[in-house]
Amino acid sequence: MDTIIIDGLSFALPLFIMAIGGIYSEKSGITNLALEGFQGFGAFIGALSAVLIANAYGTDVENLFYVALLFAMIGGMGFSVIHAVLSIKFKANQVISGVVINILALALTTFLTTQINALVFGAASDKFRLGVSERFTIEGLADIPVIGAVFTDVYPFQVIIIVIAIFAWYVLYKTRFGLHLRASGENPHSVDAAGVDVAKIRFSAVLISGLLSGLAGMCFAYSISAQFSSSIYMGYGFLAIAALIFGNWKILPTLAACLLFGFAKSGGTFISQALALPSSFTDLFMILPYVLTLLLLIFFSKSNQAPRALGEIYDKGKR
Amino acid sequence: MSKNKKKVSLSYRLLWPIRNEKWQPITIPVFSILISFIAAAIVILLLGKNPIIAFYNLFQGAGIFPKASYAGYKSMLTDFLSLLNAMTPLIFASLAVAVALKAGLFNIGVSGQMLVSGFLATIIVGYSGLDAFIAKPLVLMIGIVAGGLMGGLVGWLKYKFNIHEVVTTIMLNYIAQYVISFFIHMYYIDPVSRQSKYITEAARLTLVDVELANLKMDISLGFILAIAIAIFIKFLMDKTVVGYEIKAVGSNRNAAKYTGIKVGKNTVLAMVISGSLAGLAGVTYYLGYFASIQPKVLSNIGFDSIAVALLGNTHPIGIIFSSFLVSIIDEGSTYMSSQAGIRQEIASVIIGLILLFSACGAYLKHKVSSLKEKEVERKDSES
Repeated sequence: MDTIIIDGLSFALPLFIMAIGGIYSEKSGITNLALEGFQGFGAFIGALSAVLIANAYGTDVENLFYVALLFAMIGGMGFSVIHAVLSIKFKANQVISGVVINILALALTTFLTTQINALVFGAASDKFRLGVSERFTIEGLADIPVIGAVFTDVYPFQVIIIVIAIFAWYVLYKTRFGLHLRASGENPHSVDAAGVDVAKIRFSAVLISGLLSGLAGMCFAYSISAQFSSSIYMGYGFLAIAALIFGNWKILPTLAACLLFGFAKSGGTFISQALALPSSFTDLFMILPYVLTLLLLIFFSKSNQAPRALGEIYDKGKR
Repeated sequence: MSKNKKKVSLSYRLLWPIRNEKWQPITIPVFSILISFIAAAIVILLLGKNPIIAFYNLFQGAGIFPKASYAGYKSMLTDFLSLLNAMTPLIFASLAVAVALKAGLFNIGVSGQMLVSGFLATIIVGYSGLDAFIAKPLVLMIGIVAGGLMGGLVGWLKYKFNIHEVVTTIMLNYIAQYVISFFIHMYYIDPVSRQSKYITEAARLTLVDVELANLKMDISLGFILAIAIAIFIKFLMDKTVVGYEIKAVGSNRNAAKYTGIKVGKNTVLAMVISGSLAGLAGVTYYLGYFASIQPKVLSNIGFDSIAVALLGNTHPIGIIFSSFLVSIIDEGSTYMSSQAGIRQEIASVIIGLILLFSACGAYLKHKVSSLKEKEVERKDSES
């Protein structure tokens, strides 16, 4: 039981922070399928800087987690500029721009990883080895039955994510900027009439999504995979998009969706292990989160409403 | 002021090849391809290699230009035929994306639909030992039906329960991937290759190692079908009521509703067509280009096809050309990396760049027309 909660949370929270990035971007009116690419590229920059710094100063890569996290956020944000420029300045189709960015991210990071490994480290390898970030347990709280598992074996990034998530919630719903952002996705003309630059708002929303995705990607790299390689493109970015659509573009319901994914995923693994079935049966339990989502959507998505101006290119002259 | 004028006319002159609006659907993609090759050339130069030779190697590997030497039973023709073989699933998949896009739907689940239809065809026909004359059409039929049903499900869920097609297709991709991996591991695994067991030659849509004129070539039967289907889709979309209604729903759902077009029916129909095309991509991929299925892996074609469809302006004939180009880069990359010593991965970077620049097509179009207006104004003020 405890492992379900521990593993579920450590998967759900990075997914959640990525989905929040998606919400920012989509609420501002920019369709964002590029989360997958952002998280991969962010994780690449983070891993690269960690490996390079470790190499230069002779420190252990595992201790550079926070440095990597910082660079991953910068990297994700930097890469998201492409999506922002393409879909806002160049008025490209946002869906297509997103897909292209995913393809480019996979291609670029795979190429650069092998190239840099060969040039800097003289090794023929397609990954950067990172190790797993250390975990901590809060004594006392961890002894509470059931809920105690929440405070057991916590990755530091989970705390960071929760803090950022609360801040992101506050900004989106309680500040002027958040109001302008949400209005840009519903009725950009009125935002413009109020004297606010729609393009600027949307640009920053996309950058925020890149930053948060980079953070999420680095968390995945330091926990689940313990390395950076093309295996980072497991489709978690798309899962985050599914979560935010499931959550009807609102932060709290999206959290519920992410937790559902996380617990269904760890629960499936747990059941197949508990029943001591052959390993191929694990695959069968892995579909649990996805089947659950589809079933729940049948009941809950009648009232789902995307932001009204989502995906539309903002044209000042158009009425 | 005069400096500004000069600047306008300079960029206007630079853009001269894409000024003619009638030719823009062709000139703009060509322009983006050129720019991306220039960008790739800069990357290759930075690596200290000669880009011209690298690109030439790329085309040599794909069978467009002759190589310096060939292994036994191989020639430029065999290379070219394997190019067509690799290109076939990509054409089908891109057509699938294009048809859905015309209806305003985004089929991100092409790879899942490919996998399901490929798997069903494999277990029903691939191991059956049926005669080639029955097996091959049957494989195609299963591909069409399985893919169509899966696409139809997505359309139906969208129309009936308002479930966003992007979510459904992503979920179905995962479900298909895991369930099929389970069945392959349980019943159809080849212990040596860790893939599903190879299908019989009779069921395969590519004739492998056909000996002709002292050459061993792979002949893709699906390729001819792909061209025929592309022409058929063009006809269906441009000349029939079905196509007209699908496009009407895609361009404005509400307007279509008011004119009496059944939005629900057309949503499902478009997804059925899109799914069947994805199914054809699946059978030509798993029972043509390959003869087995690797468990727990979705093919990249499903995602690449989205971009290839765009590069071809979602036009069936354009898609043939864009698939051709992307396949050349993909197929030729192995030979390029062995000859020029450049990493094979650069090929996908080039493809990514091409797609990136072609996504800016609308902006170029906009830029050109605004420059044109300025130019006209300038001439007016001068005279």
